[in-house]
Amino acid sequence: MTPFPTNSGESRPASDLIRVRDLTKTYAGGDPSRPALDRVSIDIPRRHFVSLIGPSGCGKSTLLRVIAGLEGYDSGEATVFGTSPKAMCANKAVGLVPQTPALLPWKNVRRNIALPQKVNRRAGRGGEDPDDLLRMVGLGELGHRYPHELSGGQQQRVAIARAFGMRPEVLLMDEPFSALDEFTRESLQLQLLAMWERMATTVVFVTHSVREAVTLSDEIVVMSARPGRIHEVLPVDLPRPRDTALVNSPRMHAMEDRVRASLESAWQAGAAPDDLVAL
Amino acid sequence: MTTQTPARTVPAPSRPAPPARRPRRRGNRSPFHPATWTPAVAVLLLLGAAWTAVAAEHPYILPELGEVGTALVTSPLVFLENAWRTLRIALLGALIGAGSAFVLALVMSEIPVVRRALMPFAVVLNVTPVVALAPPLVVAFGFGMTPKVVVTAIITFFPVLINVATGLRSVPPPVLHVFETLHASRLEVLLRLRIPSSLPYTLAALRVVLPLSIVGAVVAEFVTAGSSGGLGTVISNAASTARLDFVYSAIFCLAALGVLLLALVTAIEHRLLFWHESQRRASS
Repeated sequence: MTPFPTNSGESRPASDLIRVRDLTKTYAGGDPSRPALDRVSIDIPRRHFVSLIGPSGCGKSTLLRVIAGLEGYDSGEATVFGTSPKAMCANKAVGLVPQTPALLPWKNVRRNIALPQKVNRRAGRGGEDPDDLLRMVGLGELGHRYPHELSGGQQQRVAIARAFGMRPEVLLMDEPFSALDEFTRESLQLQLLAMWERMATTVVFVTHSVREAVTLSDEIVVMSARPGRIHEVLPVDLPRPRDTALVNSPRMHAMEDRVRASLESAWQAGAAPDDLVAL
Repeated sequence: MTTQTPARTVPAPSRPAPPARRPRRRGNRSPFHPATWTPAVAVLLLLGAAWTAVAAEHPYILPELGEVGTALVTSPLVFLENAWRTLRIALLGALIGAGSAFVLALVMSEIPVVRRALMPFAVVLNVTPVVALAPPLVVAFGFGMTPKVVVTAIITFFPVLINVATGLRSVPPPVLHVFETLHASRLEVLLRLRIPSSLPYTLAALRVVLPLSIVGAVVAEFVTAGSSGGLGTVISNAASTARLDFVYSAIFCLAALGVLLLALVTAIEHRLLFWHESQRRASS
């Protein structure tokens, strides 16, 4: 296990990195000897697509929320392109796609997508045209519909369009596709990649799925649980743009196997979850 | 696997056409279908027969239904005028009670200290039988509209306070997180998120509170009987002279008012909450 995993961000200035240094966080009421995040350090270079993967309780969602400025921490440091996560939010430079679409059910699709432009106007960040965004996610003619009239996949596409709407510098996604069926999920992954390539933003993507992580990422951060630590950072050296053919190729499968092996050793490195009975 | 023409978005699987904007309730028969109304009508006829039987034997227990009808038909203005007075008091009281409860719930949700300071008293007020306040309020405010409106306002206050306070806290955390990452102000969160989220709770409270407001108005009218009108006054005056036909005519009017208010809330719910699960039980 490397305490300071190196990735391609080492030589860049802090203003070009999401930089987390020695970050430790214990939840109130949690076991202080097993923090949710234990001296986590990582650099995520601008415009990279990075996935966080690991067993339940490894702190990947916590790390995402820290980068989003939604969560405090005990010690260490987290900066996003040289400033604090909160300052990034104040500047509306952070897009968040939670696990559930988190749309406002009383607003139609178009107004949901326009929401970031209505809120916190002081940031003065001009956004994309909602209709352009809708076309980009392939929902061009559904702008007047309400969320309850859409399928789960369509709702999540609206949430992605909303997050891209402010042209955010960082896009944070917390298992956004985990509730979708396999087929919808794969088509949304490729759609997301297309949008990411077009918008040139930095993505931090939490997932449970090895295949999803390999399909999407430049680097995969494998984490271990109890305490939450970074186990290994695996670069994904597959060409872009990625398409269905590549996703089903042997190189892809080889990469998936590497990630699985790493996850296996991460699992052994972490303590067993408290709620599992030893056999 | 090297350079290929960049494959673009695979369109999501096309699904069967999504339902129309406000889907009709499926599985629900039309209200005009005989199967819908026959059972209720049967019970109504049964009740009518029982009533007639009792009234024939004991005219001092129930008046003949015909007499009730006659009373309504021969002096419709009396009932209309007094129903209007009662309704006016009920609505004014509900407006003041529910309105101030809504505002207080907003303040409580934003300033926890206010919540801790006032909630115990609101609970005590709720378990106090508020109608008992009517006589002292008459002493305090005289026989005009004021004591009746005050009683009605107090009765409607608590259910709205509790429901709105719950509704304002019912925002799903992921949505709140999206607002937080946008650095939305508290006012923006309140106006764009918390208040709309609380609407189903607010309307559920109104569904309870509007019929209650009529109870409040009538009880207050009992206490001030003889001075100023209202259906409560009609009832207590007619009862004291054993005019049961007038008493039951007034009671039917009160029931009609209650139904009217309920229908009003249902219509508002249908209009404002088209997005909420409660409005599409049958279609999903």
